[in-house]
Amino acid sequence: MSTQAADLAHLLARVALRDRAAFKALYEAASPKLFAICLRLLKDRREAEDALQEVFVKIWHGADRFAPDLASPAAWLNTVTRNHAIDRLRALKAGSYTLDAAEQVADPGPDPEATAITSSEGRRIEGCMDGLMPERAEAVRLAYVEGESYLELSERYSVPLNTMRSWLRRSLIQLRNCLSP
Amino acid sequence: MTDLSTDDLALAGEYVLGTLDAATRSAVAARIDREPSFAAEVTLWETRLDPLNDALAPVAPPAAAWRGLEARLFPEARRLSPWRWIAAAGALSTATLAAVLWFGAPLATVPGPLWVSDMVSEDGTVRLAALYDEARGEMRVSVGGAPASEGRDFELWLIAGEAAPISLGVMPDAGQAAMPIPEELRPLMLNATLAITDEPSGGAPGGVATGPVVALAALRRI
Repeated sequence: MSTQAADLAHLLARVALRDRAAFKALYEAASPKLFAICLRLLKDRREAEDALQEVFVKIWHGADRFAPDLASPAAWLNTVTRNHAIDRLRALKAGSYTLDAAEQVADPGPDPEATAITSSEGRRIEGCMDGLMPERAEAVRLAYVEGESYLELSERYSVPLNTMRSWLRRSLIQLRNCLSP
Repeated sequence: MTDLSTDDLALAGEYVLGTLDAATRSAVAARIDREPSFAAEVTLWETRLDPLNDALAPVAPPAAAWRGLEARLFPEARRLSPWRWIAAAGALSTATLAAVLWFGAPLATVPGPLWVSDMVSEDGTVRLAALYDEARGEMRVSVGGAPASEGRDFELWLIAGEAAPISLGVMPDAGQAAMPIPEELRPLMLNATLAITDEPSGGAPGGVATGPVVALAALRRI
């Protein structure tokens, strides 16, 4: 565990014990990254500020749910933030579309090229993203980082919504095979 | 190894990717709660995709975000007042209502003489009702209306005759407070005037009022 991760893990453990000074230190250490995530997903400063506050309320009440053996503290904090911001984002745009049943995804098996990259890149996702078709890797990034929905992505790439969903589901399985062969 | 189908592996990935619509998201969230193997796959996806966050440069949130959070989680922490809080109350406009709230019983059951001061700012936005129980030497206040602006506090003063105002403490933003009046001030309370001034956060430095008078009213015997 890096020094920063150890510090965050320590602060989270203190926050779980209702230590307010640790909560403030955690806020100071983590809020700039978490605010960046909120801003990028919600694209509205006011919404992002509200989301950041909600996220830290969840952290204050739920720090005891952080399990160091399952995730790094930074990844856990990022996840709490993303889940809240994406729920908010989807609620704001509720009713704009609903998904039909997903098309079955056939397991393509390990992609030889991606596997080759995996061994040299140490299972990093960036290496595996390079194994996807460039357009699909970009769609994965737009979905994850920018919070684009299937509807927005299907309009961006001018493909039917279900086709877009199939692309991404196949890309995810390909990434999974690459990351955990 | 997981016993999940490829479709479920993809669904867990989609959940973490964030592309699902609200209804599907909440259905998946319910599944995470009741299906440990599915939840484990979601957690793995969270770790797998987390490095994509590296693309985001940190952005410092505005200071108001922390203040709002602190006020929400620890409402008592920002108050420097020594007053003891008993219960939160909404806006009140009359001292009589304050008296009822304070004693929770008809005023006739109260032993000693009572004095009230009903302070309302000129524009009506700031209200404070004070009730002084002469026999107990205790005052109760109910605060309503607009709170002091950011970085400012309302402070309560006792004005008796021509003497300099004596600070009775910093006001809370809203609610009720009970405060004992020190023995030496009790004689001054009878027929005195109470005033609220707008002061720096934490109260007037050095115990001398610096801000404008927001509202004032005489203590009247009821």
